[in-house]
Amino acid sequence: MRDARRSAENFGIPDLALAVVPEPLTNQKPEAIRRMVDGAIEQIIAGLTQNPFAPAEPGKEIVLLEDKELVFEGEDELEALERMNETFLSYGWSDGFPLRAPTPRAVEAMLAGTRRDPEAVVAVLEPGFGQATVLKVAANAVMAGCLPQHLPVLLAAIECLAEPAMNLRNKAMSTGSHAPLIWVNGPVRKRAGLNSGVCALGPGAPSRANSAIGRALRLCMMNLGHCYPGVSDMDTVGTPAKYAMCVAENEEQSPFAPYHVERGFRAEQSVVTVHFVYGLCELFDFVSTEPQPLLEVFASPALNLAQVSTAMWLIGHRADPRSGATEREHHTLFLCPDHARLLATHGVDKQAIRRELFKRARIPFRQAMLNKERHAMETARPELMWLWESPETMVPVVEDPQCYELLVVGGAAGRGTFFWGAGAPVSRAIDEEE
Amino acid sequence: MAKLTVVNPVARPLTRRYPRALREPSLAGKRVGLYWNLKSGGDVALERAGELIAARFADVRLYRFEGSVGFLMRHATAADAERIAAACDVVIGATAD
Repeated sequence: MRDARRSAENFGIPDLALAVVPEPLTNQKPEAIRRMVDGAIEQIIAGLTQNPFAPAEPGKEIVLLEDKELVFEGEDELEALERMNETFLSYGWSDGFPLRAPTPRAVEAMLAGTRRDPEAVVAVLEPGFGQATVLKVAANAVMAGCLPQHLPVLLAAIECLAEPAMNLRNKAMSTGSHAPLIWVNGPVRKRAGLNSGVCALGPGAPSRANSAIGRALRLCMMNLGHCYPGVSDMDTVGTPAKYAMCVAENEEQSPFAPYHVERGFRAEQSVVTVHFVYGLCELFDFVSTEPQPLLEVFASPALNLAQVSTAMWLIGHRADPRSGATEREHHTLFLCPDHARLLATHGVDKQAIRRELFKRARIPFRQAMLNKERHAMETARPELMWLWESPETMVPVVEDPQCYELLVVGGAAGRGTFFWGAGAPVSRAIDEEE
Repeated sequence: MAKLTVVNPVARPLTRRYPRALREPSLAGKRVGLYWNLKSGGDVALERAGELIAARFADVRLYRFEGSVGFLMRHATAADAERIAAACDVVIGATAD
């Protein structure tokens, strides 16, 4: 009840009439659902007829303080820092790991990483409609361990989140674990010290910038977008991928055009891309010396029916009814340099890889619909309802070859990474004047 | 005693508030909308709610709606909301998960 009330408050309808049943309706037999509604009918009728409606419980609290600065005391500065960390944790402002103190001096030093006005609003972030000023972004960047040269990447990543095409509310609040994966192209990779090679996804010293920027984006989603776990982020299980995922493309080791150039940006531009993903797995192959078996291996993770995006196109598109934006479900593949070279030397370019993945990643229609509502397909794809009469027909897991995002990341040896995506990525160029 | 001063890292929200529609004390003779977002089980819950309301109040008419965009969850657009508001006196939705 209190999380539903919190959502209603976020969306400007705090006195929305809510009726609560004991369990989610999903995975329940019809008789169990009917019993739950029988038990809630008085709440339903009250909500439709009582004026004013008195909420039984307030929404889950998020801590919003008006103070520009906060003061913590201790026997020494270390104890004061510990108190800050404990307090921030109790407010829900922490990701659970110790935070650096965003002292005015540290925040000011962070702001040297941009020419933007500290009070300028970078974005209004859902679900809480928090006004993400440059100053607040910088404070969270400090807490995450960022350096000033990381700030332009973080600011662009936040702008990606705020694009209507990102449909952030859906991904931030879902019971599914949507984790923002950041990748960076262009000259800023070097300036920011981003790792594109060995252990690019972390952890450890080579990926300091990657880890800090990825962590900062999570803190910004929480403290600027008010996407707080258990309050407005309702993941059933959650995922460690939400702590930090940021890499640079290994453009120097790639035989292909960089990702951002393929997307229409100039090579000399610095571009940040954010793609929400559900999870990742390895693309392991030490054996193949020809493209075809390697591409068969690459296609295999996409066959995973347990991932929500698999063949989801059969029942429509992720959509934001306010902006009208719709998304196809995309997957992202980090090709390791060795695999990328193997493909390129055999004349297989990125478009050919996509075509092969699209051709090979197919599952029987019957299987694709095991975890989907038939009625949703009737609504979204009436022209394909004939498939119910031919249930073994193989259907592609995504609706178009362009739904595979490809970039080169990592060090030596034949191990790439596959990410099951949630919707489409959004890219944003960094203003080089920053 | 040491003091540590830090910048408040939490953003102020843009506050908006939409007024709640006035209710009438009885559902008798009302047009009741059942809005399903296509989350599994929501349709069953709404049908049961409709049955119970129709059994308790005279001359209730039930209307069923779905959003026109979305996938796993279908959303009502502004046009959908206007259409539903024009067709019904009250609406029940189900969130399911």
